[in-house]
Amino acid sequence: MTTHLVKPPMPRAVTCLLVLLSLLAVGAKPNATGSAKAARAAKRAGQQQPIKLPAAVLEEPTGPVMEVAAIDRSRRPQVAEAAGEIDRLLAKRWKENQVSGSTPLDDSQFVRRIYLELAGRIPTFDETTAFLADTSASKRAALIDELLESPDFVSHTYNFWADILRLTERPQKDVFFEPYLDWVKRSIAANRPYDQWVHEMLTADGKIWENPATGYQLRDKGMPLPYVDNTVRVFLGTQIGCAQCHDHPFDSWTQHQFYELAAFTSGTRMRIGGMPEKKSGLTKEEMKQAMKDSRQKNAESIRQIKEITQQAQQQIRAKKADNGLRFFINANLTSISSQPGKLLLPHDYQYDDDKPLAAVSPKVLWGDIPADAESLDRRGQFAAWLTSRDNRQFSRTIANRIWRKVMGVGLVEPIDDFREDNPASNPELLEHLTDLVLTLDFDLREFVRVLVSTSTYQRRAVLHDPTSPSPFHFTGPALKRLTAEQLWDSIVVLIAHNEWAFQRPTSAAFEKAAEIDLTAAGTSYETVEKAYNSFQDAYGIRQYRTRLQKQYGFQGQVLVRASELPGPLPLGHFLRQFGQSDRESIEGSRTVATVPQILSMFNGPITHSMLVPGSVIHDEVMSHEPRQAVDVIFLAILSHRPSAEDRAFATQEIQSADTPQAGVGNLIWALLNTREFIFIQ
Amino acid sequence: MTRQHHWLDTLSRREVFGRVARATLGVGLVPALSHQLEAAADGTKPHAKNIIYLMMQGAMSHLDTFDPKPGRDEQGETKTIPTKTPGIVFGQSLEKLAGLSDRLAVVRSLTTETGAHEQGQYLMRTSYPMINSIRHPAFGSWAVHAMGKISKDLPSYVLVGNGNDHPGAGFLDPSLTPVPVADPTKGLENTKRPQYLSEKNFDRRLALADRIDRDFKQRYAGRQLDAYNQLYKDAVRLMGSVDLQAFDIAQEKPEVRDRYGDSKIGLGCLLARRLVESGVRCIEVEFGGWDMHRDVFDEMDEKGPQLDRAMAALLEDLEQRGLLASTLVVLATEFGRTPRINENAGRDHHPGVFSCVLAGAGVQGGAVYGQSDERGFRPDKDPVSVADFNTTIAAACGLPYEKEFHAPNGRPFKIGGGGKPISAVLA
Repeated sequence: MTTHLVKPPMPRAVTCLLVLLSLLAVGAKPNATGSAKAARAAKRAGQQQPIKLPAAVLEEPTGPVMEVAAIDRSRRPQVAEAAGEIDRLLAKRWKENQVSGSTPLDDSQFVRRIYLELAGRIPTFDETTAFLADTSASKRAALIDELLESPDFVSHTYNFWADILRLTERPQKDVFFEPYLDWVKRSIAANRPYDQWVHEMLTADGKIWENPATGYQLRDKGMPLPYVDNTVRVFLGTQIGCAQCHDHPFDSWTQHQFYELAAFTSGTRMRIGGMPEKKSGLTKEEMKQAMKDSRQKNAESIRQIKEITQQAQQQIRAKKADNGLRFFINANLTSISSQPGKLLLPHDYQYDDDKPLAAVSPKVLWGDIPADAESLDRRGQFAAWLTSRDNRQFSRTIANRIWRKVMGVGLVEPIDDFREDNPASNPELLEHLTDLVLTLDFDLREFVRVLVSTSTYQRRAVLHDPTSPSPFHFTGPALKRLTAEQLWDSIVVLIAHNEWAFQRPTSAAFEKAAEIDLTAAGTSYETVEKAYNSFQDAYGIRQYRTRLQKQYGFQGQVLVRASELPGPLPLGHFLRQFGQSDRESIEGSRTVATVPQILSMFNGPITHSMLVPGSVIHDEVMSHEPRQAVDVIFLAILSHRPSAEDRAFATQEIQSADTPQAGVGNLIWALLNTREFIFIQ
Repeated sequence: MTRQHHWLDTLSRREVFGRVARATLGVGLVPALSHQLEAAADGTKPHAKNIIYLMMQGAMSHLDTFDPKPGRDEQGETKTIPTKTPGIVFGQSLEKLAGLSDRLAVVRSLTTETGAHEQGQYLMRTSYPMINSIRHPAFGSWAVHAMGKISKDLPSYVLVGNGNDHPGAGFLDPSLTPVPVADPTKGLENTKRPQYLSEKNFDRRLALADRIDRDFKQRYAGRQLDAYNQLYKDAVRLMGSVDLQAFDIAQEKPEVRDRYGDSKIGLGCLLARRLVESGVRCIEVEFGGWDMHRDVFDEMDEKGPQLDRAMAALLEDLEQRGLLASTLVVLATEFGRTPRINENAGRDHHPGVFSCVLAGAGVQGGAVYGQSDERGFRPDKDPVSVADFNTTIAAACGLPYEKEFHAPNGRPFKIGGGGKPISAVLA
């Protein structure tokens, strides 16, 4: 493992003037600090102004912000070779279809694209200028490697999975997700192989703070059939949901098959209370006996839980405690275990192949359960089958998913609707990518590394019309608007010197506040109530949000990375306006245009945060000579220098504005409101 | 409606305008109303000029709302109450709507194949199944496309809610995309320039952005960018409009707000009424949380009365202002819920049969169309497809539902999806 600072040291927030806009009132004098850039800015400004931004985001991080698994730089030749093979396959297609690749990206376009792709944000002024000045031949590969082991990559990848896995702090009122969210983040940082990661989620047992991977199964708590539907959709790119109620109208799935698959996981229990420890390899008889023993052994704790629960209900009814107490107790009674169980067909089953209410034997959709998993319980068999190397659809689905993330369009679209009559636009390439996922042993970060190293990826974006009858030939990546999170994080790094001032709580910290053993001797209603009250202070959603607002908020916006903000965010939040998912439906995020987005960019607080002294871009402009201002602003926001014509025009604009400061403000605002800023070229 | 006729009998049209204008706090409204009143005065068939579409996301249980099965096990804990319509009962939480049943047309035999929320909502909104190769327009976009704008400055189509899954304008012009309002209490935010910024400077900024952006815009000219280019224009026009106060529900008296209720749907309906008054053609109000896989009866106790209060207040207000004769109110959801109560005391997805409701302009109040079987499992009589239902909406608006429109890819589409209008629910 290596550790990383977020980015090159940045000027500490400082006393600077350049009231870009004359909107700032005078207040207390801030502490001056030593950064040379900031000092220059202060000197040029010639007078001191209050810092309005929250102090926490102005202080650069003093140590590493996150541990991230290191990239193996010695593998660069293999990566280049794998990338070359993909380029060759694409070039073959181009030739067949008489098209050619789009113009290769210049360094400015590349640095912006690669930061957005891997770090989830635009590069800072310093990052851009350092890259442009670098003359080494391998600088692109070096930057790719550096970004892949940055905390920014973890944050960006977290957002990607949060959209797919529907991650939010409280998916149900009594499901506390913080440990799971932290676990997802740490799994990404440790770069765990995808197949192992998924397998763990599908088979995890216990309470969420003992085993945070249980969160995956808890996301659909109380909904065993939708759970199967969602799991197959996410990991196998296949929609069998319709077959829950009737034979699939457009596909070959029958309701019977749906139930056969659901029979694997229908034995999953989510509540503690007398259930024996799960042991694999028990026979049915042994299991029955174990359950009987356990019920006797646990008679006392069952009684105690009942007593506490009843007392809590009385208190709530008497309005002496709030409803949250019930959820707190429920959360502490939630523990996943796999039990033998029967799944019955619905009572209104309407097909001839079986009777209503008949018990269903588990059966996989295709292929076989791996031999070494046959002795496992049903859920274990299901997970082994789903994540097996022999189940190519598992590898194919993730290959297509990551391909779409990088190239903008899947080889199969929609990516969760693989069907015979919905073939891949380039089957040869898709199978090649599937092989690559397998060759890399499900190292998805390495897979991304290959894709962004292709010469095709490093070409200008091309327009993609999803309604066009002719397939997309990937003569370059498809033109994309920034995701809501990319846009937010880009703006945050234009403002905050430390966008990592806050990170979501760790699993361990959360456990400390949330865990209470209701079965332990001596646990009474009073101890539970006390624990609940202190839990609410720390992690009650409202209290939690208020605290963030107080420490990191500026005009109602909490200036930290999107990945660390509690979700789902309120509808009016900048991130939601730009299409962040409500985390209720799988991949619910969107990038369509709306009027409120534009109003927000025009007039919203977030745009104006960066015009405030102490913001990164403000300090950057002020630490340079006035004649450099135009170049600095272009580099900081659009990652390239202005054309001679634009430079002349923008300079004149600054000079002819009411004040030069207002001119600078106008230019920053104008660049943020270009289409070029919100799209990736 | 009766009240409106009364007004027309005793007052001149000019007086009517004045009265209604005062009632709406001076928000610009005359063009919208003149249209409707002229039609009514001429004695022609009243067609809806405005549409308020209430979308119950998550799939509203038909058994616990508009199609109960009293006396059956499937009914569970939900009791029923009689309505003004003889022989028709509703779920107990819809008390106020039961009293307005003579204004409602209830369709009890909708049926689809789609038991997934996203696909189901898409089908309801667009009349076409979700497929890969094309994005269909939502009904509101069709309506604005066919009927045009009313207010010059305000958006013609507003969506109160999240809108992430909304199909928007589909293949129609991007300018027909609904403008989302996330929070009705906040209305449309960021519509004012920051104080320090003069109008001159704002224009200057816009010109600067335009100039810097020209190469990029040229290189990527196409639908994706056009959508943004168009909306920049809309946003600028909106910022200068005095009609913006239509979005400010704080201008309503507390007792009015109270009648609608302090719920998402209540505030959404109140905003919708204000927008209709100000010449917004079409408003959709999203109201989520109907996906009651667990504790359906507890959840209904919370959601049902919120809907009841909001929709009842909306209908009463529209009627009192004479706007119900020109406004169609639709209550829709993507599918129904299982008659069987599951082990978590909830109901699961059930596209087999479900209920939706129409009221207002063009609608036969008191009609009940179609029938589900004794358990509420599938239609027993007069099954209605989503296309039939949406074609009925098109007919109520006087839209050319038989006409073929061609998408850019050349394929033909019809407003409402080419179904048959249900004449029994049309006025």
